Amino acid sequence: MDWRKFFISFVAAFGFIFFFGFIWYGKLMHGAYQEVPALWRPEADFGSHFSWLVFGHIVMAFFLTLLCAKFVPAGGAGTCALLGLFVALIYVGAHLITFAVQPITSKILWGWNVGALVQFAVAGAIIGVIYKPISSATTQA
Amino acid sequence: MKRFVFAFFAAFIFIVLWGWFYNGVLLKDVFGEVQSLFRPREEMMGLFHWIIIGQAGLALSFVMIYASGFAGGGIAAGVRLGIMLEILAFSARCAFYATQPFPAKLLVLISIGGFIEMIVTGVIVGAIYKSAGARTS
Repeated sequence: MDWRKFFISFVAAFGFIFFFGFIWYGKLMHGAYQEVPALWRPEADFGSHFSWLVFGHIVMAFFLTLLCAKFVPAGGAGTCALLGLFVALIYVGAHLITFAVQPITSKILWGWNVGALVQFAVAGAIIGVIYKPISSATTQA
Repeated sequence: MKRFVFAFFAAFIFIVLWGWFYNGVLLKDVFGEVQSLFRPREEMMGLFHWIIIGQAGLALSFVMIYASGFAGGGIAAGVRLGIMLEILAFSARCAFYATQPFPAKLLVLISIGGFIEMIVTGVIVGAIYKSAGARTS
């Protein structure tokens, strides 16, 4: 495994996942969340738990990168984006279960589902573009 | 294709049974402590089909990923994939924990159940692929 490229891919994936999450879940879906305010932590409480959000995104980016590196060692945007989509489907399944047990609105459910599909497909593509082991580069040269 | 379908159904049945036993029976009282975050029982029953569809989605995604890149590795590869996917699920749970007022105990208990679920699913899927592979070779 090319650890230098792995690290760069991981950082790039984390940057995208975190930025996309902030825009999609934090800004665009803000209004939808306000329809069920009892489900969310108050602002101050959320602030004191913010480190969990960052930690979760770091772990997410790291293991997505690891999965892409193990699963598609040759890299490639398309294949890694497909893997990202498969991983997103795991999240979609979990969101559907959450919808059945928690009083979230269908707007939130589909916002989460579309967000996960875009987030992981693009993050997978980013990892695929950056992560190319030396062997494949040598083969191509 | 036959072993894909077989693996999917086996994984799906296990996930449904485990979900019912772990979340519905073992953790029933723990969920009861934060009842305000959940739908009333009757409402939940009315949406039960979404739980089944969601669990089918989990099983399908697992088998698709396994079949695409891990199928040669047998049970060990299934367990490895299960652990990696559960860590990814745990990372999302951390984000939910940051935004929803769940007690930390629930985060830990759900994650323990998730690890068991994904590891056993990996064993089931890996074993089915391995035995089918052994028969064809």
